[in-house]
Amino acid sequence: MRTRLLSYLFKQALSNILSNRVVHAIGLGTMVISLLIFGAFLLLFVNLNAWIQGWGHSMSMSVYLNDDISEAQRNRIASFIGDLAEAEIKRFITKDAALKDLRNAMGSQAGVLEGLSKNPLPASFEVAFTDIEGQGTDLEGIKQALQEMDGVEEVHYSEEWLHRFEGLMSIIKLVGFVIGGLLCLGILFIVTNTIKLTIYSRREEIEILKLVGATDWFVKTPYLFEGMIQGVLSGIFALAILYLGYFLISTKKMYFLGLAGLDFIFIPYPYTLLIILISASLGLLGCFIAVGRFFDI
Amino acid sequence: MIQLFHLFKNFGPSIALSDLNLRIHEGEFVFVTGPSGAGKTTLLRLIFGAEIPSSGNILINGVNLSRISRLKLDLLRRKIGFVFQDFKLLSKKTVFENVALALEVTGENPPVIRKKTHRTLKLVGLAEKEKAYPLQLSGGEQQRVAIARAIVKDPLILLADEPTGNLDSELTKDIMILFRSIHLKGTTVVIATHSRELLEDTAQRTVFLHNGRVVDEK
Repeated sequence: MRTRLLSYLFKQALSNILSNRVVHAIGLGTMVISLLIFGAFLLLFVNLNAWIQGWGHSMSMSVYLNDDISEAQRNRIASFIGDLAEAEIKRFITKDAALKDLRNAMGSQAGVLEGLSKNPLPASFEVAFTDIEGQGTDLEGIKQALQEMDGVEEVHYSEEWLHRFEGLMSIIKLVGFVIGGLLCLGILFIVTNTIKLTIYSRREEIEILKLVGATDWFVKTPYLFEGMIQGVLSGIFALAILYLGYFLISTKKMYFLGLAGLDFIFIPYPYTLLIILISASLGLLGCFIAVGRFFDI
Repeated sequence: MIQLFHLFKNFGPSIALSDLNLRIHEGEFVFVTGPSGAGKTTLLRLIFGAEIPSSGNILINGVNLSRISRLKLDLLRRKIGFVFQDFKLLSKKTVFENVALALEVTGENPPVIRKKTHRTLKLVGLAEKEKAYPLQLSGGEQQRVAIARAIVKDPLILLADEPTGNLDSELTKDIMILFRSIHLKGTTVVIATHSRELLEDTAQRTVFLHNGRVVDEK
């Protein structure tokens, strides 16, 4: 009997949506826009995060050597690096090669280097790390160990940049939460008012239902279904539009942004489910608020 | 079956019922009459639980309405049919749908709903008009739809507020015949009316109200 009743009430909800289709379409449209903004933000966050993770995976380190380093000391350093499972010496740059690189980098300005009495640049090892996240590599520890070795002048890796990006990601995350929270409140407001309007347009029917012995839940349930349907549909439409936007941008490879080399990914599957779940829950919650005060008959 | 003890009902400063005591037995047919503003409609609405008394007690089958939960009141209403003065029909639903509504809220089986609704519409003489909408019907026909909706669930009590108020004498007779046939099936019937025509030839119990009090009975 319960299943039959629920199926009856669900059909009632669909019929209510059809008979108040203009109000529902407006509510749905506004919810889709709000969810689109939220989804776009999430998409941006997910991609920035992926790019930063990618950089983290391919971290490089420069080990600068003293000018008076012996062959044995250099070999010891090379073998220390070689023993690290996640590290690989990409290149040994001699003092001359370093100067040549600098000349090439300076191009027409390279003339200023002609006046140097001796080559001030140190020789260095260029080390590449793979999958530092996965292997839990302690870059700071490696840096310390190398710096304590004889013959090492200085060690640098791109931790400053990584930390700056991590800081930026924390800010983006915080802004995302604030915007998400505000949009959720907006969605709640929209659903509550949409359902209030439909309840208002059907107040005569509600009164009659109550007078013939309908329980509060019998009257309320179709509205709760309405809110939930509106929430789920809004989530699906917003994701579909977002996917379309993603598809257009990713197939054009973002040439217009000058980011052709970057891989652009869509919101991961669990997040898409989360968006639909959030919008359905907001729809349901909005209805609870809307129906709460209308049944004093 | 229906017991009212020291019932008071105020709407702001205006007193609708004042120390009203009344007992209606199971299976009785009772008219409640009196001039406009005597408290007839308020009395029926209180029995139905659509109004809360300012003080006093209402017992339906021994159940005190002041002390039951909202859910139990909803369930109790399923045992009471109410014919409203203004019919309270849904204009966007057909005659059949309006009547079936009273059973749908109980979660009844659809085939049972169809069967009972057809049977009741036949009883009130509207079998041919079940697909019509209320606004396509005459006042008498709308009244019969309202009665059909009140009796389709086989109520223990049938309350009717001025059920013949807008009808000519011929239709009034038809409606009264209908009420008597419902009464003969064992339903307790309480009709509020100020129509002298309705009361002239009746041998039924009649309660006279004036200024919210029972002033006479016959």
